[in-house]
Amino acid sequence: MAARIALLKYLRVEARPAQLRNPRLIGGSFSQLFKRQFSEEVRGSFLDKDEVRDRVINCVKNFQKVDPAKVVPNAHFQNDLGLDSLDTVEIVMALEEEFGFEIPDNEADKINSINLAVDFIASHPQAK
Amino acid sequence: MGTERKYSFMRRGFYRMRLNCCSYGKFFSSSPPLTPIALPSPKETHLWYVIPSEVKGESLLNKYMEILSPSEKENVLSVGGDELRKSALLARTLVRTTIARYQINSSISPRSLKFRKSIHGKPEVDWQQGDHCEPPPLHFNISHTSSLVACGVTVNSPIGVDVEAKQRTVKHNVLTLARRYFSEHELEALTAIKDPQLQHQEFMKLWTLKEAYVKALGRGFSGAPFKTFTIRFGSAIGASEISVDLLDDPSDLTCNWQFMLLELAGSHYAAICTEKDVTNEGNTKGPVKLTVWKTIPFVEDKCVSGTETVRILCGSR
Repeated sequence: MAARIALLKYLRVEARPAQLRNPRLIGGSFSQLFKRQFSEEVRGSFLDKDEVRDRVINCVKNFQKVDPAKVVPNAHFQNDLGLDSLDTVEIVMALEEEFGFEIPDNEADKINSINLAVDFIASHPQAK
Repeated sequence: MGTERKYSFMRRGFYRMRLNCCSYGKFFSSSPPLTPIALPSPKETHLWYVIPSEVKGESLLNKYMEILSPSEKENVLSVGGDELRKSALLARTLVRTTIARYQINSSISPRSLKFRKSIHGKPEVDWQQGDHCEPPPLHFNISHTSSLVACGVTVNSPIGVDVEAKQRTVKHNVLTLARRYFSEHELEALTAIKDPQLQHQEFMKLWTLKEAYVKALGRGFSGAPFKTFTIRFGSAIGASEISVDLLDDPSDLTCNWQFMLLELAGSHYAAICTEKDVTNEGNTKGPVKLTVWKTIPFVEDKCVSGTETVRILCGSR
């Protein structure tokens, strides 16, 4: 919210023809401001990667078809855990339930190892 | 005479294989060659399948390893667990031996075939240009479960194949899965089935059909998300027809694709999706001829279409 207000303030002040003729200048300052405000604002809502890894590993271990001993951070769903496409879809659903947000289908395709799942979830602010 | 590397497939206690060096045995020359088969016509589909539990013997598995490319060997050896590794090996073996049967030209053997991925990541044959050789319009697609590996072959048409064990269990309730991944119409159709076993079976049928369609398109799961299309059973033409339509334009019944749904060996559903042949003066409604072989490469082939082993549940006959 604070970021949004700051943004609007910035835009209102800077709407002068001279500035507008140089969009690159605005763009640069805009993105700096955006990054600074946004990251401070949101840093708190990204989950800690180690915590995510533990929760993902637990989630996958609970999957009946999987041998818990094989569930290590670099385990590949198909090659190491023997999961097929339906299993992978079920794992994605289990992760959605665990972390409370929906993983879009076009991203789900790429989540085929523990590490990739961890990276994806840890970089998503909606993950709980 | 130099020594050849023999890849020892099964080693008790090891997940990673050690490469053994030893001289070639005579078994290679004494085994029967692959039965040559004529290419399917544009209206035909061929399906080859192998049951991993029926493939026995370390020497046979080592023979299969020999026809793989170096990178395929590496991939197979990197798979953890004997059963999974065997299924991965049989998948590559089935593709190579199947395509080699079609005797495109005499220089093609299972080992000489090269493969590449299409622009969207779908595996295809990388035909090597010979002097008088035009790449044949052969398409293939494989599907494997730990209990059955299948390879479909067509000419002129993209093909998608998916097999699933009928009895396979799912962790989530099938309606929950359908709510998340299937279209509204499909969810409604499933919800209407009250018997849980029948509902489970219908779910598996829909799943294999949707997978087969996505694989025929060749763009991956994210290229054609399951929610964006509906599989319909039955149409104005006849109850045995399966069709697909795209959700953003329900009036556009995607007529190009045809499906077949089979039950194999009483234990698996197999769905095959191919493009309709439009060369016959716009008549796209002709039945597709399906021929199915059960095989143990280099050991035996059995044509099983028309027998109890293959039950056509839905689709062109």
